[in-house]
Amino acid sequence: MSMMDGMGTNELAEFRKAVARLPLTMRPSVNGQLAEWATLFGYERGRVREFLSGVTAMTPAELEALTEPLRKLEGKMGLDRAEFHQNADSMENASLLARNEFYGEWREQVRRVYAAIEARARQGKAAETVKPRVVLAVLPASLPYDAEKVWKRWKEPGIALRIDGDVTEIATRVVSAVSGSKAAASDGSDLWLIDTETKLGGAKAGDAAAMALSWTELDGLRAHVLERVNTVPRSIEMTDQILATIRAEDMSALEPAGLKESPQLRRFLIDLYLSGNGALIFSNAFVQWAASEALRRARPRVLVARFGMRQKPKPFTGIAIFENQERISKLPAVDDPKGSAVDAEMLARYVYLSARRYPEGEATAYVVVAESAGSALLLLPEAMKKEWAGKTTATPGELAEWLGRVAQG
Amino acid sequence: MELNRRQLLTAAAALVVDQWAAARGIESAAPVGRKMIVVTCGGIRREDTFADSGIENIPHLYKDLLPQSVLFENLRNEGVTSHYNTISSILTGNWQRLDDWGKTSPASVTIFEQLRRQMRVKRDQVWLISSNKALTAKIASSSVAEFGPEYGANVVFPKQLLIKAVVQAAQKGEAVHSTDRATVAPEIEAILNGDNYDGLGWNVGGDPSTLDKIALGTIEDAITDLVKTNAPVTGDEFTYLVTVEVMKRFAPALMVVTFSDMEVAHFGSYSLHLGGISTVDRLVYELWNTVQGMPGYKDQTTMMVMPEFGRDLDGSTTNGFFNHRQGSESTRGTWMMCLGDAIRKPGLIEEPVLQTQIHPTIGKLFGIKTDASGKPLPGLWL
Repeated sequence: MSMMDGMGTNELAEFRKAVARLPLTMRPSVNGQLAEWATLFGYERGRVREFLSGVTAMTPAELEALTEPLRKLEGKMGLDRAEFHQNADSMENASLLARNEFYGEWREQVRRVYAAIEARARQGKAAETVKPRVVLAVLPASLPYDAEKVWKRWKEPGIALRIDGDVTEIATRVVSAVSGSKAAASDGSDLWLIDTETKLGGAKAGDAAAMALSWTELDGLRAHVLERVNTVPRSIEMTDQILATIRAEDMSALEPAGLKESPQLRRFLIDLYLSGNGALIFSNAFVQWAASEALRRARPRVLVARFGMRQKPKPFTGIAIFENQERISKLPAVDDPKGSAVDAEMLARYVYLSARRYPEGEATAYVVVAESAGSALLLLPEAMKKEWAGKTTATPGELAEWLGRVAQG
Repeated sequence: MELNRRQLLTAAAALVVDQWAAARGIESAAPVGRKMIVVTCGGIRREDTFADSGIENIPHLYKDLLPQSVLFENLRNEGVTSHYNTISSILTGNWQRLDDWGKTSPASVTIFEQLRRQMRVKRDQVWLISSNKALTAKIASSSVAEFGPEYGANVVFPKQLLIKAVVQAAQKGEAVHSTDRATVAPEIEAILNGDNYDGLGWNVGGDPSTLDKIALGTIEDAITDLVKTNAPVTGDEFTYLVTVEVMKRFAPALMVVTFSDMEVAHFGSYSLHLGGISTVDRLVYELWNTVQGMPGYKDQTTMMVMPEFGRDLDGSTTNGFFNHRQGSESTRGTWMMCLGDAIRKPGLIEEPVLQTQIHPTIGKLFGIKTDASGKPLPGLWL
């Protein structure tokens, strides 16, 4: 490897040296990220650099003292004797760790070491101010919600607004408002548009200004990956091999326009498909898991997640659900509006909880719109609440314009 | 479920069990002594069941069965919260740390083996009937040298029978159409005739495992008719019906039944997950009513019903209800309902108990010694 995007040979060599100083179980994740450097988002690259600068800043004695309890624990867990893959995370590694009786203790030790190294990396640096962010979740008009009860299941205190006007305009207006702004990240990872259909203003997968994913546009690719995943046998060792093969496969013929031009988004999508969580099975799970992973990996300024309709499981597919329903049964698909509404509401809340998990969440305006109820729920940081204090209604234009302003910082 | 469809499923279940018995020349067993049925049902959070927010999902457990049961409110899974390890831990009374995919047998002696060796009962008296794809037939007995397969249980995966038929048809590129019974039938035939069909886990071992043409034809008819219906077919429904057939024919002393429809949660549909919980609620109620209607079971059967574990917390890095690996209270804390013979006074037991205490409890109920480290569960008449 001579030169990777944004990283020189010398820097890579230094990084590798730093990784080698870490305890065994901390190496695979960082090594995996270095190997996939070209497909990391800007935020991820910054995070790896920061972490490894913290390692480098520590003297051997300091690092030894910090990591000694973890190294001893690894010995007690027998991981030094097991075949623990160091090049990247693997199913086999995860299985070895998860069934070990010291797994909980190990997780705590890794968390402690990471936190200490990151604190060291930030030592002497001024704390960065987190810029305001926007997450918009759309529960489309096809999903039935009762205007009186729609937000009852949300445990978080929010501001419920009745939307005075065409509520279905909000999402596209927000996308228009934020699309014109100059993205802070040159790779487009500051704006994410994730949709069960293609209703978010026509942004295409791999659009230079945005990371756009549409469940329906990805039909062919998803079906192919699902078929390949279904060849995985009941063997963890074989699973790792087959997943690696799927990752390396050229699927460009099945990729929608633009995806192949964005190595980051392509890699993100394949990782998403291969990480379970229903991303290959149900459109709403795909939207939620993609949104949660985008928030974790890219920390975007704006993310729009639009949920949708799920079909009822067809006969037989209810018992063989990890299958392509269209292929298994030629019976016509039947929508499940009520079940989809339950799913989408729960998963929209999961997107909110994902956003709250990170420091950026403290500066994030989270808005969920239930189109069929003509209602929006605003979950806002304290500093933003005053803008909406005492208000019970808003027009689509007001809400979209305000979100646009928040996104501009 | 429509009566016709259930009748068809029942016919298929009966034929599967008949075939097993016919291959060995086994007649129906005479009912003997106390009986135990252990029902496990995947990962279910407390908030979706015995909590204000969940009672609507379990009307039968809450209204019909709770008043006559002992409910252990705080059953703990302190082991690996995967299906194979959890059920192995329940069966052995020791936390198992095995390959999650069931590649190896439990490392400690199972209750099946203890029961068969000490009480000298035949294999047809101990059964594990499971919907769960994560289990394998290796769970029937341990790897302990003095025990092992010779003392193991019968293991049946009824759901797998159907899944394999459908999946194999799909892999050949042949869609299953409502009227295309010729597509499905050969697949079912191939599976039933296969030499090493581990989905049944019956270890036929040299015995012919083919179905006669009449039996095979009837199963084909049943499954083809299932394909025609628009109502969802659940694996747990078929597992339940096979369980009832096994009860009718063999009246086993010990049966472990595992349901898994609620595991659709792994794919992110909360509504289908709740639907799976409701299905189990109904099937458990039906199973208990069936017990009351069978002379060999009535008044001498204890039934334990429990989730294997909870599911992860909303907002967790493991994606909440989708998974069950977080190790939080939401994942490890669950409940167990006990009904029947071992109950003298219904009530709630709040003190924490462990899933590994189930093995010595069953042992005491049958009057056999076990190697489990835990004590039998409190509050039961054993």
